[in-house]
Amino acid sequence: MPVKQQTKPNAADGVVRFENVGMRYGTGPEVLRDLSFSLGPASFHFLTGSSGAGKSSLLKLLYLARLPSRGLITLFGRDIATISRRDMPEVRREVGVVFQDFRLLNHLSVFDNVALPLRISGLHEGIIRKHVIELLTWVGLADSLRARPPTLSGGQQQRVAIARAVISRPRLLLADEPTGNVDDVIAMRLLYLFEELNRLGTTVVIATHNDALVSRFGRPRMELEAGMLKFHKANVATPSTIDSVDSTAEAQSTWPPVRSNLTDKLSG
Amino acid sequence: MVYLAMLALACTLLLSGLLADWDQGLSNKITIQIMPLGDETSEEIEAHLTETIRILLITPGIAEANSIPITEIAAMLEPWLGAAAHVAELPLPRLIDVTLEENRNIDIEGLSKQLAENVPGITLDDHHFWREQFSKLVRSLEVLAILVVGLVALAAIGVVVFATRGGLAVHRELIEVLHLIGAHDEYVANQFQRHTWHNCLRGSVVAGIFGIATLVGISQLAKELDPTLLPTIEVEIWQWGTLILVPIIASLIAMWTARRTVMRALARMV
Repeated sequence: MPVKQQTKPNAADGVVRFENVGMRYGTGPEVLRDLSFSLGPASFHFLTGSSGAGKSSLLKLLYLARLPSRGLITLFGRDIATISRRDMPEVRREVGVVFQDFRLLNHLSVFDNVALPLRISGLHEGIIRKHVIELLTWVGLADSLRARPPTLSGGQQQRVAIARAVISRPRLLLADEPTGNVDDVIAMRLLYLFEELNRLGTTVVIATHNDALVSRFGRPRMELEAGMLKFHKANVATPSTIDSVDSTAEAQSTWPPVRSNLTDKLSG
Repeated sequence: MVYLAMLALACTLLLSGLLADWDQGLSNKITIQIMPLGDETSEEIEAHLTETIRILLITPGIAEANSIPITEIAAMLEPWLGAAAHVAELPLPRLIDVTLEENRNIDIEGLSKQLAENVPGITLDDHHFWREQFSKLVRSLEVLAILVVGLVALAAIGVVVFATRGGLAVHRELIEVLHLIGAHDEYVANQFQRHTWHNCLRGSVVAGIFGIATLVGISQLAKELDPTLLPTIEVEIWQWGTLILVPIIASLIAMWTARRTVMRALARMV
């Protein structure tokens, strides 16, 4: 039974808050209508819906590639309509995106691709090196630092894309069909990776078609249908993510995390 | 582009240098010519010369007056007449080279009249006519060369604008990714700017080397030719300096254009 998401008591502190948001391209019909919801810190949601239902449009609003035609969007407690163009990049840096087609820069090495968000933030090259190598080791790509993305397999490219999305420890991680190009085994591994990040305090939204995966992971689901959003509770009886994770405590742990059994999951 | 601009600029520099040389060489000089009337003896001509020089030297404002020896006149005519000509038998005019004192305006007409009264067949040339004609010619050539430099610069800007737009279209994805992962416009523009600067500088330096080689070649060629026929084409050190600036300035223009193009494209994104 679809149920309406309960607004959390501390909604003002939420990572994402939509109020009556509508969006249209140009003068076309509204592809998103009357979206009102909020996502708390360290929540984990799947975003489903048939093709053309507006998943990508919703993600575009979330990663600030588009502005809504109407309504109010609050990211990290800031009304995005009031953020000046100059301040936008700082907000964008809090959002990590794994694009459906990865969008890796093919003329840069794996290392440079992952280092890009840190370089943009103006970090010291020594620190960048340390972090990037640690993260790439963590996702099992330590041997491919100098490789160009086109020489990698789909699954490897995906891990590079994910590494780039999480290297700067975003507070919100968005992934558009991250399992679209890989087989189920890799898809499962990637979802374990997202779960690991979520445990560290990142709010995760994953758009996917793969219903089997959604039910296996037992996480709440947002379903877009003809531009309207419905919330579903987790299908499988697992502890509710939003309430179970003590995000503040987890978020303060070191990054990248100490080698966990994740590496085994990735390579196993 | 840089090559053409350099050659055009070199043209301008050389022409104005040439004009300055000529002006300086001629502005305080007049030449007096005594035409042989046909029936005088060489002693009479010598007497005319001496008389003329005497008159000149007592005229105020004249610093020097020297008769040009007949052998020198013959040497000047040699390219046209050939070495074998019996110069001595030809009724050559005799020339007196007169140097005026600096900043002294003397009454050329009065002097001319006074000389004509005393010496038959005398004419006085203050080079006014030729100087004016020559400087008109050189000035118009200079304007032409400057126009060429300007046109080349405009064409270069146009090429860079279109090349950068093409680059933007090709790298649209890259720009969008940089933009979405939180790069400031300046960061993206800097990447493009640096890329354009490196590319243009590399191209310009090659063109510049070719340009300098061409100029050195031309001036060597001019030196080997008979120096009495052609004015010397010498590029001075400051002129070399100006020419070397051409590739750098061209690259700066390209860099600035690339920056502007990228910034404008980015301004259209959210």
